Amino acid sequence: MAEQQPKEGTFRERLTILWNYSKGFRGSYLVAMVSQAGSSTAKAVTFFLLGFLVDQTVGHNTFMDFLPLLAGGIIALALVDGFFSFLSGRFAAKSSENVARRLRNTLYDHIQHLPFTYHDHMAAGELIQRSTSDVDAVRRFFADQAIGVVRIVMLFVVNLAALLLLNAKLALSSVVVVPAIVVISVFFFRRVSKVYDDYQDQDAILSTMLQENLAGVRVVRAFARQDFESAKFEKENTEKYRRGRILLLMHSLFWPSSDILCASQVLAGFILGALMTIHGEITVGQYVSYTGLVVYLIWPMRDLGRLIVHASNGMVSAFRTGEILREHVEDLDAGSYRPAGPSRGEVEFRNVSFDYHGDISVLRDITFHCLPGQAIALLGPTGSGKTSLVNLLPRFYEYSSGSVLLDGVELREYPKRYLRRQIGIVEQEPFLFSRTIRENIVYGVEREVPDAEVEAAARAAALHDVILSFPEGYRTLVGEKGVTLSGGQRQRMAIARAILKDPRLLILDDSTSSVDSETEAEIRGALERLMRGRTTFIIAHRVQSVMHADQLLVLDRGRIIQSGTHEELMHRDGFYRRIFLLQSRIDEEVELETESGEGADAVLAS
Amino acid sequence: MAMDEWEEEDFEESWDGQTLARMLGLAARKRLWMGGFLATVTLVAVSDSVFTYLKKLVIDQAITPGKPESLVWIFALFATLSLLQAAGVFTFIYLAGLLGEQIQYDLRRSMFTKLQELSFSYFDRTPVGWIMSRVTSDPAKVADLVTWGLMDATWAAMSIISSLVFMLYLQWTLGILVFLTIPVLVFAGALFKQRIIRQYRQVRQINSKITASFNETITGVRVIKALGREENNLHEFQSLTDGMYAAGFRAAWLSALFLPVVQGIGAVALATVAWFGGARAMQGTISIGTIQAFIGYVTFMLWPVQDLARVFSEMQHAIASAERSFSLVDSLPEIVDRPDSADPGTLRGEVEFDHVSFWYKEGKPVLEDFSLRVRENESIALVGPTGGGKTTIASLLCRFYEPRRGVIRIAGRDYTTLTQKAIQSRIGVVLQTPHLFSGTVRENIRYGRLEATEAELEEAARVAGADEFIHRLEKGYDTEVGQGGNQLSTGQKQLISLARAVLAQPDILVMDEATSSVDTMTEALIQRGMESLMTGRVSFVIAHRLSTIRRAHRIVVVEEGRIAEIGTHAELLRLRGKYYWLYTQQFRWERMRELDMGSVRGLLGAQET
Repeated sequence: MAEQQPKEGTFRERLTILWNYSKGFRGSYLVAMVSQAGSSTAKAVTFFLLGFLVDQTVGHNTFMDFLPLLAGGIIALALVDGFFSFLSGRFAAKSSENVARRLRNTLYDHIQHLPFTYHDHMAAGELIQRSTSDVDAVRRFFADQAIGVVRIVMLFVVNLAALLLLNAKLALSSVVVVPAIVVISVFFFRRVSKVYDDYQDQDAILSTMLQENLAGVRVVRAFARQDFESAKFEKENTEKYRRGRILLLMHSLFWPSSDILCASQVLAGFILGALMTIHGEITVGQYVSYTGLVVYLIWPMRDLGRLIVHASNGMVSAFRTGEILREHVEDLDAGSYRPAGPSRGEVEFRNVSFDYHGDISVLRDITFHCLPGQAIALLGPTGSGKTSLVNLLPRFYEYSSGSVLLDGVELREYPKRYLRRQIGIVEQEPFLFSRTIRENIVYGVEREVPDAEVEAAARAAALHDVILSFPEGYRTLVGEKGVTLSGGQRQRMAIARAILKDPRLLILDDSTSSVDSETEAEIRGALERLMRGRTTFIIAHRVQSVMHADQLLVLDRGRIIQSGTHEELMHRDGFYRRIFLLQSRIDEEVELETESGEGADAVLAS
Repeated sequence: MAMDEWEEEDFEESWDGQTLARMLGLAARKRLWMGGFLATVTLVAVSDSVFTYLKKLVIDQAITPGKPESLVWIFALFATLSLLQAAGVFTFIYLAGLLGEQIQYDLRRSMFTKLQELSFSYFDRTPVGWIMSRVTSDPAKVADLVTWGLMDATWAAMSIISSLVFMLYLQWTLGILVFLTIPVLVFAGALFKQRIIRQYRQVRQINSKITASFNETITGVRVIKALGREENNLHEFQSLTDGMYAAGFRAAWLSALFLPVVQGIGAVALATVAWFGGARAMQGTISIGTIQAFIGYVTFMLWPVQDLARVFSEMQHAIASAERSFSLVDSLPEIVDRPDSADPGTLRGEVEFDHVSFWYKEGKPVLEDFSLRVRENESIALVGPTGGGKTTIASLLCRFYEPRRGVIRIAGRDYTTLTQKAIQSRIGVVLQTPHLFSGTVRENIRYGRLEATEAELEEAARVAGADEFIHRLEKGYDTEVGQGGNQLSTGQKQLISLARAVLAQPDILVMDEATSSVDTMTEALIQRGMESLMTGRVSFVIAHRLSTIRRAHRIVVVEEGRIAEIGTHAELLRLRGKYYWLYTQQFRWERMRELDMGSVRGLLGAQET
């Protein structure tokens, strides 16, 4: 899981992805964009109207009658402006929220269907980050940035057109600095966005430090290191202050200097306009319109840089989410053989080999055959391939060569959905979801399960009494906000889950090392009940618990090195017999140990 | 995400002036900066109004009379003011921002320092997430209100006031008419903003649920596949995103409505100007320049009004943040050194628990009338079921908590007459779940004694049995251990925490022995390290491993807060009581584990050769 620099894609690729994301909402987004033009136009017309008012009032007395109409016109135009800007906001929101919703749903479902091999090498944190922050960045691209750019461009275009209508010379000399403003602002915001990242990074450092300090509060106190910790924090805190100052300095230089740039342009326009009015090239009313319009032409341009920089970040985010969607998902329904009823549970491995990513071979030449209802125990040291072998059955991974037959049919011919329905897995410490205990038990069952059935399953898993001891019984929440279950309790949750699922094949991770002997007996009983009548694969950790299995397979480094029943294997010298003898000697040792312990005083005394 | 929820739960609708006053007090610490930005922002606001007035003069003094030479002085004034304004903008951004950073810095520092003083009981009842958001996100909110918020409000108020003054000066009746719309605007704006903020809060809440859902699905994806839960999950998730859509859409269109509403009210004012102004102009009582100035003031006024609305509606939230931050800063530690407490220089000697009782929650005693006398250099193994009170005994000894009844004496003195530092700097603690800090291996060991020499440090590592694996690390002592030490295995972390305790040369040793699975090699190493650490000092070991238990001078079986059995290993075995049962259990378990499949490669190797 090495840190990899995430790919960012070319501009074209990013744009294509955003274009695809907008599918279905392009119409409403277009309405949002066009509305911006409507709003800009209404603003421009208002200034024309005011100019008209000024020209009409100079030396005319008959205009009195038009005044109410004019006042009404101003209000009407404001309403039109407001209507369009609201329309634009609403439609932009509608499109962007829809895009975000669809993207969230698609990503969620896609992630659920990505194969194990993908999840094995993808860090969970990275995936969560992309599904949440990056999706939100895409949403903001549509909701704020793209429409913001359109707004500024529309303001510019419409107002420039209006000015051209007034007077071409005046109009053209009013936009001289605009390109400079845009360039400077893009340049500035690009720099600022980097400095801001630094500032945020320091924030992360501070929270990590605090978190460590809180998590290690016992260590801090135990060594009386409060002052040391404060000094450490002080250093990073000061660094944050320093970085904040750099950021501030940039802002406090950019805004006034761009102010001066914009102001000088506006000022120059005013002077020119005033002179032209005096020389009679334009009317006073036109001059008044001009002074209003030109403001909308110049000042918004400063914001363009910010929007462009943020929009390009949004495009990178879009590309990152797109990368996930490009990965191939598992097709749960592909397969030519679709049996109507449940499987019989006959499994055969023929010369099966498997490697994870085409490099290290994990399983080599595995061959065995088991009949319906048999129990197969897999033994061997950590990393010998036990788990990899059982992971082939639900097709979590695909074997690279050989064949696996279920009821005589190649496993690849079955739809994965069917296979996984036939197989129940009881892990040692299964993952529990932050839901109630009941919901966790029925998690894998698609039908409605009546309470009585849930309780029966919990009882069979020796879990019912434990559950009743919780404050809210079956409705007790599991996890951060609820109860924490012990290892043994988690395992029994998995057993209860499997009982409800009622699969034909069972995969058991048989480890009871983390529980006391009483619980162990309970779990063992529950497991035995569960195994009855099902083909079971047991990943065994102790010989005693699997000696009654129908077949024992001893694995080492991906190969089967011994196989047979307990009796057969006990007749041969080998791994199995050695470990069996060693483990069964323990009881004798306990006896010896306590006897020698009782006599220890004598030794100490002497 | 859990952090957000705490924050939302705590949000209060009401606020009090005291907190606001205290917030302003934070800013007032840098009087000069505060005065500086308030003065410059006022200058900027006033000069904006002057600009509009200058525009009027352009028409009335130059255009209407046809005197282009007047333009010279008007625009000279214009340019000068622009430069002055730019200087003002620079000053207030810089000063207000700097003051904000300073306030954040001060708040974070005082909170962190306070956290180092607070007693364990505080951490028991306060979720880490809550503390985290106090220190990480609240300072910015508090600072924002008293710097940018205050600045915006000042700017807005000054803009409105100066425009008003100009309007009244130009034409007082029209001025009053325009001014009447302002309260309506601010009030409507603030109401609106509040609703919008509430809506966005809902968006954040749903968003944290969505994040949680992604988190769970991604980490639990293997179970989901095994159980074939995909369709159901998607269904559930869709109801979340639907909720998100509804809340997000509503928040966005409410925001989109805000500006038009404000502008609409503004347009009424503008229409008033057009009507009355136009009429007056025809009568010749006001000039065209004046009409233009009024239009300028009215259209410009929409911005300060919006700013005011925003500041008012955000104020509540910031004050709630401040209240929570202050509550942390004001918390008092439960354990404080007495004024006459002393540092005896050493803790060597007897340790005595004299009829000690303790409870975390009233009515639920954890220790009851616990008495134990430990001789100098004696080692005590504490055994017994989980929740029996073993860890509490260790915590009391370290004075993380103090006995509710009874006395603990160290070297003959009631330990509450000693300073906390005197005790904690001389008790070595090794915890079951070893905690390391980000940094190098060296820095983590040095934590035990900051002034230790390089040679002492490495010697400590040797004694603890840690040097071997450290040398095998790529960068040796300079290897980064990662956050919480996550680059190392649990066993390695334990060895380093042992070395840290060795380096500290404590007078008393407290160890919560680890039961986590480490490989046999490491286990043997840890064992050796612990033994060397235990010799020659009073030591308390919460023990699971048989070798440790056997080695202790005395064994105390603690059950339900009381001593169930006490004596040497042999004595207790002969009793055939609780200890006997625990011991045989543990023995069986340890042997089993040794023979677990994971550690039997040796047997395989023997067969293959």
